[in-house]
Amino acid sequence: MNRLLAALLLAAPLAAQDARTIVDESQKRSRADSQRYEGTLEVIDSKRKVTTKKWIYERLGSAGESKAVLRFTAPAEVKGVALLIHNHPDRASDQWMWTPAVQRERRIAFQDRRTRFFGTDFTFEDLEERDVDRSSYKLLGEETLMGALCWKIESTPKAEAKSQYSRVTFWIRKDNYVLTQAECFGREKTDKLVRRIRYSDIEKVQGIFTPRMFEVRDEERESTTVMKVERLQYNTSMPAERFTLQALRRDQ
Amino acid sequence: MMLLRLISWPYVRKHLLRALLTTAGIVLGVAVFVGMHTANQSVLYAFNRTVDRIAGATQLQVTAGEIGFSEDVLERVQAQPDVEVAVPVIEATVQTGIAGQGNLLVLGVDMTGDRSLRDYDLEKADDTIVDDPLVFIAQPDSIIVSRQFTERTGLKLNSKLTMQTMQGPRQFTIRGVMNSEGLASAFGGSLAVMDIYAAQLVFGRGRRFDRIDISLHPGIKVDDARRRLQSALGSGFEVDTPSSRGQQFEAVAQVYSMNATLTSIFALFIGLFLIYNTFSIAVTQRRNEIGILRALGASSGLVKRLFLAESAITGLIGSTIGIGVGILIARGLATYLGTFFAEVYGVGEKAQEVSADPKLLLSALFIGVGTSVVAGWLPARNAARVDPVKALQKGRVQVITEGESRLRRNLALLLLAGAVACATLGHVRIFFYSGYMLNVLAVLLLTPALCIWLGKALRPLLKWLRPVEGALAADSLLQSPRRTSGTVAALSLSVALVVGLGGIAKASYESIRSWMDAALSPDFFITGSETITQRSIRFPEELAGEFRKVPGVEEVQAVRTARILYSGTPVMLVAADLRSLAERVRLQVIEGDGATMYKRAERGEGVVLSDNFALLRKVKTGDVLELPAPDGMVKMPVLGVVLDYSDQNGTILMDRGAYKKYWGDPTVNAFRIYLNAGEDRAAMRQKLLDQFGGRTRLFIMTNAELKQYITNLTDQWFGLTYVQIFVAVLVAILGIVNTLTVSIADRKRELGVLQAVGGLRNQIRQTIWMEAIAIGVLGLAIGFALGAVHLYYILEVTRRDLAGMRLDYRYPFAIAATLIPVILGSALFSAIGPAETAVRGSLVEALEYE
Repeated sequence: MNRLLAALLLAAPLAAQDARTIVDESQKRSRADSQRYEGTLEVIDSKRKVTTKKWIYERLGSAGESKAVLRFTAPAEVKGVALLIHNHPDRASDQWMWTPAVQRERRIAFQDRRTRFFGTDFTFEDLEERDVDRSSYKLLGEETLMGALCWKIESTPKAEAKSQYSRVTFWIRKDNYVLTQAECFGREKTDKLVRRIRYSDIEKVQGIFTPRMFEVRDEERESTTVMKVERLQYNTSMPAERFTLQALRRDQ
Repeated sequence: MMLLRLISWPYVRKHLLRALLTTAGIVLGVAVFVGMHTANQSVLYAFNRTVDRIAGATQLQVTAGEIGFSEDVLERVQAQPDVEVAVPVIEATVQTGIAGQGNLLVLGVDMTGDRSLRDYDLEKADDTIVDDPLVFIAQPDSIIVSRQFTERTGLKLNSKLTMQTMQGPRQFTIRGVMNSEGLASAFGGSLAVMDIYAAQLVFGRGRRFDRIDISLHPGIKVDDARRRLQSALGSGFEVDTPSSRGQQFEAVAQVYSMNATLTSIFALFIGLFLIYNTFSIAVTQRRNEIGILRALGASSGLVKRLFLAESAITGLIGSTIGIGVGILIARGLATYLGTFFAEVYGVGEKAQEVSADPKLLLSALFIGVGTSVVAGWLPARNAARVDPVKALQKGRVQVITEGESRLRRNLALLLLAGAVACATLGHVRIFFYSGYMLNVLAVLLLTPALCIWLGKALRPLLKWLRPVEGALAADSLLQSPRRTSGTVAALSLSVALVVGLGGIAKASYESIRSWMDAALSPDFFITGSETITQRSIRFPEELAGEFRKVPGVEEVQAVRTARILYSGTPVMLVAADLRSLAERVRLQVIEGDGATMYKRAERGEGVVLSDNFALLRKVKTGDVLELPAPDGMVKMPVLGVVLDYSDQNGTILMDRGAYKKYWGDPTVNAFRIYLNAGEDRAAMRQKLLDQFGGRTRLFIMTNAELKQYITNLTDQWFGLTYVQIFVAVLVAILGIVNTLTVSIADRKRELGVLQAVGGLRNQIRQTIWMEAIAIGVLGLAIGFALGAVHLYYILEVTRRDLAGMRLDYRYPFAIAATLIPVILGSALFSAIGPAETAVRGSLVEALEYE
């Protein structure tokens, strides 16, 4: 998931070559053939009510051309529900959800990508990996954020990307090219900040700098989702058949 | 205005009862018109409102009749450039088993995208639960209900609610409560929302959706998008606005609507004669006044306008009261009608409130006033022609002159000739209906003459019964045909209406009974709901195989019925195993070769139509029907036409193989089950219920129960007819009371003289009673004859334009016989009041002039 979110927000081509190089380098540094982790998700709503979910995430491939499966393990009422994502470099991802209780998969329509991902504060679109060329961006300058000097880059999704965002501003650490913050601006609310994502607890795992905690803040709903990454592994052996609808049904 | 105040008003005050009775004619006519149509509109309005509220921000809907379509259509729709959001929907009505709650409309939606279209307006506390579609979707027992529903049932969040599903009774958990506005108020608040894939499972939809709701990208015109989407999806789909569902409902229920219109027209026609009669009498009684007015210089035009204004005011008052009474009638009728439509057509809902359409009310006012003015026109013209000199002379003035009688007779004969001419051109609709009208008008014009002829024929009989009273009663009728003929005309119209309705009821029952004997041969009918017209819950076809394995079951026929659009009109498609059906069912063949048509249809070479479909849609054997299917129009030659009354709008009988091939729908609505000879039906029914009832929702009706069910539906249909008959008879009775009241007032002097010369009170009473009975007899005689003609036409209207039913002409002798005591008894009853007035009147006052 962390990989996904980072890829989404960094995946933007540059009008300014320097910015694009930074993004490209950031992507390259986080690239792995596969990824597996166990995630814990806490949604804290505006009344400070907390709901927790856990899942196992597996991804095969990288940089906009990958396949991923996210399978919920807790709480009991959502256990077994799974999401299959096929990311494409040139178009929006295909997503299917598997519901074991009705033994059915459902396709998440392109139109639904702007809807919230299962009650969290990020959307289905936020789960996509995007090719860098599907956005344009520019370097806004440098800023210190969470004690680290960062490049501040503005990404503007191209029209064909049909993003829910008008633009995304993100901060990439200069020392290790890790994304530390992204601010997403909506289209409908006159370029208003709708979502802020912070990446923290950065650790080097198998040679890859990886944030172990994400905090997504929905500015409209005034709720926050915190995701923690545990038992993270890169480049483990994963058969491609695991990332199919058949496997989704079989491996419930 | 001054004349109205000085001349008309005192007359009305003097004859208040008569004025009230006259107005009552219009009141009833308008009330029937307003009541029946308002009730109909209220049900339609309730249906439309539910459609609107469910539609939310939906601009277009994709449907394929009731059949639905496979899931892949959704992606095709979502891929269209005009479409911003397209979400699938399944709708089903289920029973909750909670006393007094009726059915619950369940909306199956995909919660991931549906909230873009519909505002669920969830209670804040539930928001996090339902807003997390993961929990909602992961638990297929999740439902959201309306606040109204929880308040009515005492249920709350996380309560369990049992619903009857295709999988049998299943418990659902209320995981969200919608506030009572918008969507939540649809279907009177009896609405639940659940995940669409769970709905597919519990309502037997397989991998199909009922429809797709669409919102468009901003700035795109709905009409343009509709056209482009229709062209992209092909003719097998209907792309239309949500409001078009109301139009389809209207089309389905049009038989009722036409029936209501015809009856209202008849009721108003009866009212017209009451007014005509009253004004004719008034003109006669007020000849002196008219004479004085004319002598004082009033022009004939002024006199005419005075009477026309009086009739217009009567019409206005009558219509206004009639509208009020009609709305009251509608309140009672709307609930009945909602249930009735749901039972007969499988759609519709109870109207929570009566919605009176201002246009309808204005029309009613216009029709009421118009009828009154038309009715008053002839008397007004006669008033204008009154010779002032003759008018100021004393004497009887009720006599219709020989010239006038001749003119009427000649005109009537001319109209009859016209009616005959129209009958020869009856295949053309305008001539057919003109012939109908001309016939009725001819009989009505002949009424005064018929009254005299029949009165003369009746005189010896009355005299034989009571020499003095009988003769006086007969003479009273003969001497004042103008006074009598209007009432007799109204009475005979009522009798004709009753004969016509009774005749059609008799013919319908006989035809339906004979069709049921031919078509409904299985021992059991297994359906997913207790009403056979409700098709929202379906079975998988595999169940047929399981039924076949049950020892004692000889044969199982799987049937899928669904409404589809044929040339824009909803018709019924019946897909069944035709080989098996042909062996077991002996429907009367109207067209085509009965020996081969089913075999050919089984091979998918064409379809067999019901007679009413062929008649209403003007299709015959050899024609090719174009039916909308998901992959485009399916061309099906008509192989034959059979007598089948399954649906009022007509049925298309098709083999299941062809249906599955073109519509890709393997589901089943009903199973027809034949048992081995000698099997105990009760035991077999229990066995099937024990074996399957736990895992699937099924209702087993025996052959007798289904026939009884259909008979009950027919009873319900004719239940409305009986209300109409009651109104018709009531109007006629009002006419008799009116006439007798006038007769008493007219003959006050005569009756006074009779008493003065020794006539007993009883004799006076009996004279009036006999006069009433004589009016009844005249009305019955003419009404029976007119009814015979009316029945012929109404059967033809039913065949051609209403239901396409080829009903045999059977004069309803039993009903006619029942009418004799009813009308004569009513006549006698209505004479009691006037008779008592006559005998208790002041003798001095009566003889004042002498």
